Amino acid sequence: MDKLERLLNLTAELLHASRPLTAEEIRRRMASAYPAEQASFRRSFERDKADLRSIGIPIRSSPAPGTDPPVEGYRIRRGEYAGRDPALTPDELAALHLAANLVRLEGGVGSAFTKLGGPLAALGDDEPDGGGDAAAVGVLPFDEPLAVLVEGAARRRVAAFVYNGEARTVEPWRLSFSRGHWYLSGWDRGRAAERVFRVDRITGSVTLDGPAGRAPPPAGDIGPMLGWELGDAEPVEARVSVDADLAAWACHVTGADGEPQPDGSVVLTLKVRNPDAFRSLVLSFLDRAEVLGPEELRLDVIDWLEALTEGGRTR
Amino acid sequence: MTSARLTAAERMARLLGVIPWVVARDGALIDEMTARFDYPRDQLLADLTEVLFFVGVHPYTPDTLIEVDIADEVVHIRYADWFSQPLKLSAEEAARLLIAGRSVLALTPEGESGSVEAGAGEPADDGAGPLLRALAKLGLVLGDEAGASVEVSLGYAPRATLETLRQAVEDRRRVEIDYYSYHRDRLTTRAVDPALVFSDRGHWYLSGWCHRAGAERVFRADRIRSVTPTETHIEADLSRRDAPTPAPDSDGPVVTIRLTETAAWAAEQYPVLDRRDLDDGAVEVRMVASETWLARLLLRLGPEAEVVEWDPVIPPDLVASTAAKIFQRYRSRL
Repeated sequence: MDKLERLLNLTAELLHASRPLTAEEIRRRMASAYPAEQASFRRSFERDKADLRSIGIPIRSSPAPGTDPPVEGYRIRRGEYAGRDPALTPDELAALHLAANLVRLEGGVGSAFTKLGGPLAALGDDEPDGGGDAAAVGVLPFDEPLAVLVEGAARRRVAAFVYNGEARTVEPWRLSFSRGHWYLSGWDRGRAAERVFRVDRITGSVTLDGPAGRAPPPAGDIGPMLGWELGDAEPVEARVSVDADLAAWACHVTGADGEPQPDGSVVLTLKVRNPDAFRSLVLSFLDRAEVLGPEELRLDVIDWLEALTEGGRTR
Repeated sequence: MTSARLTAAERMARLLGVIPWVVARDGALIDEMTARFDYPRDQLLADLTEVLFFVGVHPYTPDTLIEVDIADEVVHIRYADWFSQPLKLSAEEAARLLIAGRSVLALTPEGESGSVEAGAGEPADDGAGPLLRALAKLGLVLGDEAGASVEVSLGYAPRATLETLRQAVEDRRRVEIDYYSYHRDRLTTRAVDPALVFSDRGHWYLSGWCHRAGAERVFRADRIRSVTPTETHIEADLSRRDAPTPAPDSDGPVVTIRLTETAAWAAEQYPVLDRRDLDDGAVEVRMVASETWLARLLLRLGPEAEVVEWDPVIPPDLVASTAAKIFQRYRSRL
């Protein structure tokens, strides 16, 4: 018998069952499909279950009713197998398919389009490859923690993970991709404050728990995720002067409006929560920028430069 | 189309998509099924007539089996109750589609003005584009807050710059750009035959043939101060489907830098030629580095970075002299 036939029959049997079926019951019901010998039956049954789960079929196991000592039973609940049909129209499906080709995600989109009714032909028959090879404009990183966090934000569930070696409990609000990294913004319950986390610095996996209480702030256009704003320090307003020739670019990279000065330079006002990242930003403008204040941030840059000047001489 | 043999699980995944699709349409053409589901025709026919026809539940009497009927290229499937609905999109698949869709939406004026509102109610259908509608519907599957849960910026270059560049690529027209070279800390004007506008790690780039360099170059779009399309039509075929890796000129000086664990991010942020992980979490990288660029990197990293091998063309007191120059500016107001 074709293995596909056995997988389909097993799935039909488990969907049809009104209670969990034991492996023995399944072997009897599918006697012509499985070997009669116990050990080889068990091996193929386990392999089949793994194959079905790998394509997303939700096989649940729980003790079969009426067994003592309890024996594991299996079934597929219809409500878990099929979901709410998003009922996409052909043009919506085609638009989504085109989007998934323009912006690729690491690992692809799985069998999402097969489940949605395969839009390939909708993109036009004149393209020999069905349009699946449109030039991508970019590839975004994607991994398991990100998937869980998106789900948590979408369903308003509390997320738990380890960050900087510390266990955090966060109500996830939004996942933002900016300058090559994914960031999570949300309410950090342990710190009782709004925080931003870099998703690729989360250690291990993310788990979702009960409902999140706080409503996320209204969605708006995000600015760039700015390194000097990501930190645990109290925010300080820093003023930086940037020379005329780099003024436009500096406003652009910092997202600040800047006060234009008569000589063409600008003064930027930045909210700093991470002094190291702030210093790094200012130094990237070389000698065409200067921290005007506050004094502690200005002195930090001066000390840093002094150390490098001396270090360079002795090296 | 896929030509490799499909595994049983891959055929299964396709069939579970094919069956509800055919059932919902009350019959479908074989060729359309083949194209839509990337299912080789012979395999599909065999799976329908030699496999699906025998699928059902115990005791496998005719009334418990699926019925498949193929006539004049049209397939009908009946009594497939268990499989009449498609498998649920997993949360991960929905998240992937949502992210791709939101990214593309951010490229269009439509996406810039409005955010996708996918509340518990019905998705809005007041003239919104198909992608916006698709994302709203997808949001209903993923969760009430799906619309607001993801924001993507592929880069922060001015929209007008990107649009002019994209148009020039499409029209195959040479452009003139004023470009600020971060690597050399210099503003130059260049004639470029544009090939591709693409995003990499959150920045927009233009790749193309630079007439000033006489070579293919990659430019960061946010450092293009101004762009002017010229009347020159490009004859050569520059179009490419794969984006080149943005990297500094590969013929520049090469240095080896030891980065402490704290500074190891730089090894991921910038293109490196070699990378060696050391025991204490430190990393040693060999990279192409122009003088100005290297000065900036070392200034920013301070004690967290040490150059272990200099290129002879780079002055050994680079960091100290650059630091001194900046320090000078501060000293005038100490």
